[in-house]
Amino acid sequence: MTDPGVYLEKLSGFSRILRLEGLPVSPQETADAARILIRLGMDDRERVRTALRTVYAKSREEQLVFDRAFDGFFLPEEAMHRQAMEQQKKEAQEQEARRQAEEHFRQNGQPSLLSEEQLEAYAAMPEEERQRLLQFADKYRDSARRNPKLYGSFIRSVFAKALLEQQLQMEDAAVGCQAADPELGLAYRDITQFKDTEIPRAISMIQALSRQLNGELSARNKSAGRGGKLDFRRTIRKGLETGGSLYRLEYKRKPIRRRHLTILCDVSGSMMQFSEFALRFIQSLNQVSENPRVFLFSEGLHEADVFSLQNMNRFRDYVRESGIYGKGTDLGTALQGLCALRPPALSASTTLLILSDAKTIDRPRAMEALQAAKRQSGRILWLNPIPQRHWKHLNSVQAFEALCPMVSCSTLDALASACRRLGRY
Amino acid sequence: MELETLKQKMDEAHYIYDDTLATVLAVALELGRPLLIEGAAGVGKTEVAKVMAHALDRELVRLQCYEGLDESKALYEWNYQKQLLSIQVNMGSTDREKLTRSLFSDEYLLERPLLKSIRAERPVVLLIDEIDKADEEFEAFLLELLSEMQVTIPEVGTVRARSVPFVVLTSNRARPLSEALRRRCAYLYIQYPDMEKELAILRAKLPHVDDRLCAQVALAVQKLRSSEAILKKPSIAETLDWAAALDALGIRELTPDALRKTAGFVLKNSEDLALLPELEEGREAHCGGCGGCHD
Repeated sequence: MTDPGVYLEKLSGFSRILRLEGLPVSPQETADAARILIRLGMDDRERVRTALRTVYAKSREEQLVFDRAFDGFFLPEEAMHRQAMEQQKKEAQEQEARRQAEEHFRQNGQPSLLSEEQLEAYAAMPEEERQRLLQFADKYRDSARRNPKLYGSFIRSVFAKALLEQQLQMEDAAVGCQAADPELGLAYRDITQFKDTEIPRAISMIQALSRQLNGELSARNKSAGRGGKLDFRRTIRKGLETGGSLYRLEYKRKPIRRRHLTILCDVSGSMMQFSEFALRFIQSLNQVSENPRVFLFSEGLHEADVFSLQNMNRFRDYVRESGIYGKGTDLGTALQGLCALRPPALSASTTLLILSDAKTIDRPRAMEALQAAKRQSGRILWLNPIPQRHWKHLNSVQAFEALCPMVSCSTLDALASACRRLGRY
Repeated sequence: MELETLKQKMDEAHYIYDDTLATVLAVALELGRPLLIEGAAGVGKTEVAKVMAHALDRELVRLQCYEGLDESKALYEWNYQKQLLSIQVNMGSTDREKLTRSLFSDEYLLERPLLKSIRAERPVVLLIDEIDKADEEFEAFLLELLSEMQVTIPEVGTVRARSVPFVVLTSNRARPLSEALRRRCAYLYIQYPDMEKELAILRAKLPHVDDRLCAQVALAVQKLRSSEAILKKPSIAETLDWAAALDALGIRELTPDALRKTAGFVLKNSEDLALLPELEEGREAHCGGCGGCHD
């Protein structure tokens, strides 16, 4: 029998790669994988893939990550040769591109305007992007003579922007998920990019999430089965049916208390692209929770008609005709209006759900109003449709995030994981 | 069990499988790990457990999960009636301690599926069906059983498995399962079968149905599944029902008329049924209105 050490060494390397890819791999799984490889051998690549996937990947999402890592790690021999050749060729090309860039961005015999890191990134860019940047540099070359310092910082900022755009494009493409599993693609894709035909599936996913979110937001404290305290009164009363013998023990159950839900939805111009999602989400929440109060805001505050919430088309028309749809955002006014409502819309048993991209005028006033709303309501949760990776560039998001829990709902997957995390808040 | 032996046993059970499924089952058996199977409703998750029971020549113990399922229905329950009777009968007994001890003995213990599966003399196949329907508390309760193959009964103590069952858990992904549960299991995701496999299933399960009709049904089902507009994709069971229904009606060719008459067997909600004329138009455009599609 093959020595397990041979496999263990290779597999521990593979496990490290899987961990880097985000899979929670334990040493036990590595040992299991080695045990299986000893049994099955390494002859049949697809069989090895299936066996290792069974051990390492514990969900459909993890299977896709695993397959990518496996293809990169366990290469067939001819692919290894091919890859080595390609690598050599690519390195030579990058070297050449780097040399060209150094030459091009050098001005008046001075060293290159770009740092080592930027030159490397430039060399790794697709040819089309490189040409675009070079054209840009040529166009403004004259200004370099007049003000070399300004030209240098300008070129660097253009360069950084081009790199960021490229990175975002790759992230938005959901890294090949769509081709492998349409349902996963839908969960990972930006909600603004859904096709018309995908809307029904997205709706059913949103409805499931609304149910989950509603459950998490409710102060559910049910004791199942035999947990909890003995209910003597009910036990004795039940015992009368069996001649006084305490035949069945009855236990006290805490009533299921649902929190009141107040939804504050931004329908301003900056939220236009998310509006369909926001309205669907609110309408779904209305169906699964007990009479939530829904407020729409842009420059002013407007309470949604309960009747209109019963039907999506009616609700959509109602919002568009409300007079506040697509205008500027004033969160401060909206929150002040909400706090001042009589009878109150916010109380200790209320969860306030804010659905907004946090872009508002008069931010200090909005922050004060948010703190006042926080004091008045039991709990606040902010759902932000902007992808979380952009938050660090947005001051307004950072400011509001410091005041209340904010979760991203840019993709259905982000919303689902936010729902799962809600218990922590 | 060797992979080839397992394949042979599944062949004997007339089960249509692919290499992936056979390898996953062999791995789970080799490691002695529970197998968590996920996939859309009707792709044959439960069937895997049944086939494994047949292949391993073991009894199948099934626990159907639902909201509110607790240990009294899944693990054990004391036989209160019998305990009460025993108290009445032994009312005059002086040794109270002995009586109390006897009341919490095996004689009064009602085994439910989980306890039954680990106390069985011969190993069984334990199917925990639709685990996503059970509450999260129940999922946490299962962890001890799945990792240690033991359960704790407060009045008795820890009950260790006499024989280790092969555990199959199925989930329709109605809610995400906990990481703790997933990490204790080997994992299999079953997708809808491709045309070739679906046809093989039809031939194996309905050998009396005309081969040409089987091919037309399989092709039509594949098209329905690939249509993004269809909300409830037809399952394998529905494909079988549909083919059987067509055969029972004496239909030998899947014409648009036959499709309309029997669509209820394969499309199960009104929105999908309303889309049928549109799909038919597309189908006719595709094959030039030839009536039933080709083999």
